[in-house]
Amino acid sequence: MSQPVIETKGLTKVYGDFTALDNLNLTVNEGEIFGFLGPNGAGKTTTILLLVGLSVPTSGAATVLGYNIVRESREIRRNVGLLPDFAGFYEDLSAQKNLEYIGLLNDLSKTESEKRATELLETVGLGEWKNVNVEKFSRGMKQRLGIAQALIKRPRLLILDEPTIGLDPAGTKEIRELILKLNKEQGLTIFLSSHLLHEIQMTCTHVGIINHGRLVVCDALHNLTELLTESEGLSLELKIHNPTQELLKEIEGIVGVSRVLQKEDKVYVTMTSDVTLEISKTIARHGAYVLLMKPKEYSLEEIFMKYYEEA
Amino acid sequence: MAGSLTVFRKELADHLGSKRYLILFTIIILLSSLSAYQGSQYLKNNPNLGFLAIFSGQMFGFSFIQLMVFFGPIIGLSLGFDAINKERTSGSLSTLLSQPIFRDSVINGKFLAGAAALSIMTVSTIGIMIGMAIPLLGFGPTLDGILNIISLTLLTIMYLAFWLSLGLLFSVLTKKTSTSMLASVATWLTCVIVISMLATLIANAVVPITFTPTTTIGNATVPGRQNPQQTSEYRALMEQRFSIQNMILKISPTNLYSEAASAILGVIASSSFIGIDRSTPFRSLTLSQGLAASWANITIIAIGLLVCFIVSYIKFLRMEIRPGG
Ligand SMILES: Nc1ncnc2c1ncn2[C@@H]1O[C@H](COP(=O)(O)OP(=O)(O)OP(=O)(O)O)[C@@H](O)[C@H]1O
Ligand SMILES: [Mg+2]
Repeated sequence: MSQPVIETKGLTKVYGDFTALDNLNLTVNEGEIFGFLGPNGAGKTTTILLLVGLSVPTSGAATVLGYNIVRESREIRRNVGLLPDFAGFYEDLSAQKNLEYIGLLNDLSKTESEKRATELLETVGLGEWKNVNVEKFSRGMKQRLGIAQALIKRPRLLILDEPTIGLDPAGTKEIRELILKLNKEQGLTIFLSSHLLHEIQMTCTHVGIINHGRLVVCDALHNLTELLTESEGLSLELKIHNPTQELLKEIEGIVGVSRVLQKEDKVYVTMTSDVTLEISKTIARHGAYVLLMKPKEYSLEEIFMKYYEEA
Repeated sequence: MAGSLTVFRKELADHLGSKRYLILFTIIILLSSLSAYQGSQYLKNNPNLGFLAIFSGQMFGFSFIQLMVFFGPIIGLSLGFDAINKERTSGSLSTLLSQPIFRDSVINGKFLAGAAALSIMTVSTIGIMIGMAIPLLGFGPTLDGILNIISLTLLTIMYLAFWLSLGLLFSVLTKKTSTSMLASVATWLTCVIVISMLATLIANAVVPITFTPTTTIGNATVPGRQNPQQTSEYRALMEQRFSIQNMILKISPTNLYSEAASAILGVIASSSFIGIDRSTPFRSLTLSQGLAASWANITIIAIGLLVCFIVSYIKFLRMEIRPGG
C-alpha cells in the first residue's frame, strides 16, 4: 500500500471565534478522483488553501505527497497543480503569456514554458485564443485557462476548487471529460470541490461530504450511491390531475406505504418497500391521470440531514 | 530568490510597456528638457555658476528639483498604488501564490521592478538634460560635477522609491484600487499644496498677532512703521511664525528632498516654500559639504522608505489571499 497523497489529522482552522474547519480527518490515495462536496461556506476552500500552504492551520497536521503542509508548502506547490477559487489572470496579457509566466515561476526554461503553454491551450480547447488578452475571456474560458495553468508544472496531484462553477452544461461536460481523461491516461490523482452532488456523482471515485466545517461522511462513491439510491427508491414524487381525498386515503392504505403528503400540486409518497406499481394501479382505478411520477431526488441539504441524524 | 527574479522581470516589463509609465515618462522628459533649456539660458547670464546650475537654475517655470518636488510623489505613487490590491481583486494573486514561490518574492519583486522603472526614468531624464545642455552651453560638467550629478541621481531615485513604497503600502492596506488611488492623490495634494496652507494656518494660530504697527500723523493713527518698539515686537512675532511654518514644512518629504538636492548641487537652500525656490544662487558648497549638510534629510527619506516597505511586507505576508476575503 503506497503512501496516501493527502492525509489530514485533526486539521482545524479558526477565524476569530468562527471555526471554518473543525477537526478534519481525510485520506486521499493515489489514482483517486476525490470529490469534496459541501454547500457554500462549508469549508471547502479553507481546506484547499490549507493543503497548499496558502493559509496556516490553527491546529492539526496534514501531509500532501508526503510533505508537511506548514514546513514544506513550497515543495507541495511545486508538485501540486491548483485551480484556486475564482482563479484570476493578468487581464492585459494574452493567455499564452499568462501561462508562460506561470511556467517560469515553476522553474521551467523559457522555451519549455512556451512549448507547454501552447500545448496546454490546445488541451483545454483554447488553441485559437492563444494570443488574445484574457480580458476578452468569458468565465468558462478563464476556468479552462485555470486548469491549463494548474497542469503546466506536470503535477502529481491536481486540486480543483469548484472547477465547473459558472460554466454552461456543455462547458461542464468538457471539463468533466478532461478530468476523467487526465485521471485515466496519466493516472493523475485529482481532488476537486463542488457543491453539486450530481457533478461529484458523475466524476468522482471517492467522496467526502463536508458541512459547517465538519466532515460528515467520507467513502468510496459506490458505497455511498447504494445508500443514496436505496433511499431514493423508497420515496416518490407524484403529480396527479385532480387528486381526490379518497384517492390519497387509498394510496396511504396500500401495504408498504408509510406516509402520503400533499404539498401544493405535488404528492409525496414514502414507502417501506417498493410498491410503485400498486400506487400506479390505484390511481388508474380512480380514473385520475398521472402527470408526473419519479423517484424523489434528495437535495444536498437532505443528504446532510440524513447523515447528521445518523451521526 | 529565483521567484523574485521572475516576478521582477515580468513586473518591470509590465511597467515599461504600460501607458501609465509612458505618459509620466513623456511629461517628465518634456518638462525636464524645457528646464534644461531654461537652466542653460540662466547659466549663460550667470556664467560663474558652473554646469550644475542647469538642475537648479530657472528663469521661468521650474528647475529639475522643483519638477521632482511637484511630480515625484505622483510618479512614485502611481507605480505602486495598485500593485497588490489589483491582483487580489482580479484573483491573479491566488494563481500567482499557488506557484512554488514564497510570498515575499512577490512583494520584493514588485518593489524592485518599480524601483528599477523609476531608476530608468531618472537616469534617462538627467542624461537627456545633460545631453541638451552641453551643446547649448559649449561646456560640460567637471569631474567633481559628475560626482554631484551621480549623487543627485541616487538621491532622486531614493526619493521616488520612497513614494513607490508608500504607494505599495496603500495597495496592501486597502482592498479597492479606487481607495488607494484616492489616498495617493490626497497625499500628493497634501505635499504640494495643502501642507503650506496648513503650515500658515497653524503658525498663525500658534502665534497670534493682535496689533499692527501704527504711525501717528497729527491726531490720526494709521498703519505704518514709525513706532520702533511696536515694530520690533511685530518683527519678532513674524519671525516666530515663520520658524513654526518652516518646522511644519520640514516634515514634508518633498521639502526634505529639495533641501538635500539643493545642497548636493552646492546651493545653500534657505528655507524653501514649496513651489518657490528661495535658494541663493551661489555655488558655495563642495559635494562633501553638501552631503554633510543634507545627511539628516537623506536619512529621514531612507527611514520613511524602509518603514513603508517593511509594514507593507509584514501586512502582505499575513494577508488572507482569497479575492474579497
Ligand atoms: N478570512 C476569513 N475570515 C473570517 N471568516 C472566513 C474567512 N475566510 C472564510 N471564512 C469563513 O469560513 C467559512 C468557510 O469558507 P470557505 O470559503 O472554506 O467555504 P466553501 O466551502 O469554499 O464555500 P463556497 O462553496 O462558497 O466556496 C465561511 O463561513 C466563511 O465565511
Ligand atoms: Mg469555496
